[in-house]
Amino acid sequence: MARTEASIEAAHVSVRLLIAEKLRYLVPMTVIFMVGYIGLTALAGFAPDLMGSRVVGSVNLGFVLIAFNYLLSWVLAIVYGRIAADKFDPLAAKAAMEIAGPGKSR
Amino acid sequence: MNLTLGIFIAILLVTLAITYWAAKRTSTTADFYAADSRLTAAQNGFALAGDWCSAAAFLGFTGLTALYGMDGALYALGPLVAFCTVLFLIAEPMRNTGRYTLGDIIRSRMQTRTSLLAAIAGTVVVNFAYLMPQMAGAGVLVRLLTGISYDWAVIFVGVSMIVYVAFGGMLATTWVQIVKAVLMLSAGAIILVMILSLVHFNPLTLFAEAEQKYGAKYLLPGNYLKNPFDQISLGLGYTLGLAGLPHVMTRFYTVPDAKTARRSVVWVMFLAGAFFAGTTLFGLAAADFVGQDVIRAADKGGNLTLPLLAQYLGGGKGTFGGDLMLGFVAAVAVATILAVVSALTLSTSGAIAHDFYVNWVKRGQVEGKQEVWLARIAAVVIGVLAIALGILAQGVNVAVLVILAICVAASANFPVLILSLFWRRFNTGGVVGGMTVGLVSSVVLATIGPAMRGAEALWPLVNPTVVSLPLGFLGAILGTLMWGRDAENERRFDAFLLQVHTGVTSN
Repeated sequence: MARTEASIEAAHVSVRLLIAEKLRYLVPMTVIFMVGYIGLTALAGFAPDLMGSRVVGSVNLGFVLIAFNYLLSWVLAIVYGRIAADKFDPLAAKAAMEIAGPGKSR
Repeated sequence: MNLTLGIFIAILLVTLAITYWAAKRTSTTADFYAADSRLTAAQNGFALAGDWCSAAAFLGFTGLTALYGMDGALYALGPLVAFCTVLFLIAEPMRNTGRYTLGDIIRSRMQTRTSLLAAIAGTVVVNFAYLMPQMAGAGVLVRLLTGISYDWAVIFVGVSMIVYVAFGGMLATTWVQIVKAVLMLSAGAIILVMILSLVHFNPLTLFAEAEQKYGAKYLLPGNYLKNPFDQISLGLGYTLGLAGLPHVMTRFYTVPDAKTARRSVVWVMFLAGAFFAGTTLFGLAAADFVGQDVIRAADKGGNLTLPLLAQYLGGGKGTFGGDLMLGFVAAVAVATILAVVSALTLSTSGAIAHDFYVNWVKRGQVEGKQEVWLARIAAVVIGVLAIALGILAQGVNVAVLVILAICVAASANFPVLILSLFWRRFNTGGVVGGMTVGLVSSVVLATIGPAMRGAEALWPLVNPTVVSLPLGFLGAILGTLMWGRDAENERRFDAFLLQVHTGVTSN
């Protein structure tokens, strides 16, 4: 393992790029689920009548939003898995390779 | 009830066989705490589902929905959403950075003894606050279902968990969790199909019948949580508290790498999420078919709703089908408790034996062989303590402890963990500040609230997370600023980040 100052520095730069890339996706995704779920609990707390407005038969808006949150969580999980594999893993592999020094594939 | 007892004994024999098998494969410290990090994503996903669904989820959510309508459904959703936080921010960094405990991460970030001590305090408080109500719940449940006394029921559960953990370590704990998850999901699937066949596969009928029987108010929020801020506390506590629960987070050490950790979270989100969604329908069905009066008569808190529903679906009281379904669900409930208390015991033994004794007292100077034995001894001692606390807890209102566990996890462990992973300037002062303020504000606010003092509460919220979580963050930030700049710590952060995001160490 030829770990030189230069290879360590290159790896640190790559990690910073990786973090920037992660933030680009994870900040909006985190905002979406937090707003979705905390928003739901806030509506349940402060606007119970709105939550009670009927949508289909006896099912009211509250239960529809709850169902929506289940779907949202599952969709976000799948989307995260794909983004991580497509965008994050190659950058992480690059940083890991750089730390091993030139010519090494770790 | 003989059928129930028979199913119990069958589950016990299976778990003991697992333990015997696991014990032969558990010799190193890595085996004991992390099953040698060789699980697959699916295995860890099932184990996570078994670990995370406590009796409060298995029995509680159905009961809450049956008795209080929408608030029960809101309760059930939280533990799924919680995994979004874990998936995006915690699971992969955990896997890349630590080895056996939550303390490992804090230690590798700060490299100070004081910060390790703070991390140990966070783990031990959360785990015991979680463990005690589980033991008390086990006592009540096993007594109700088998007829043995409360004390013997607690001892039975405690001794089983000690055997699993002390002999079989993480491998036995994992497979007990997997068996429990499979049983729980099968029970859920069977009950769901039976319910749907009763309403001609139109779930809307469940809502319509509930509304007809109990009025429109039943389907509105606010029947259980009267204070709007309690609703928000619930949401915050779940979404951020899970990431601070050591007995769940240490499961990520059982897989080989970050990618597997990530895939195991996706597994648990579908497995456990489907079950949580199911509990809402189970609760409505129980309110429709069994009726709230019968549910309340069996247990005021509604914790026997699911067994009662299963009995009804099987053909009713006194029929073979009814007894069989009741026995099955009751046995799954006990398996649920066993899986969770084992994980808590294992993770606490990590904090005591690995973090405290080996890394704090002995500064890491302990041989591998000796460390395994220390871990086993710690598991036995913690188990005995849990049995004693469980027996003492009889008749005491332990609801406050359930809230406290998740509240401390969200208000103390979570801020410290997340800032350790993402903030360069965060330092030992911040760890101590966040842990202290988060812990103290949670404990104080939870004990002066209605969960403990009822009508004489000095503070209106049952669950104080909405206040204690920001306080925990504030404590962490102020602690960091008061500690002053730590150039060495900040310089090391680049190497730490490399490890957090790639799993590779740079030295």
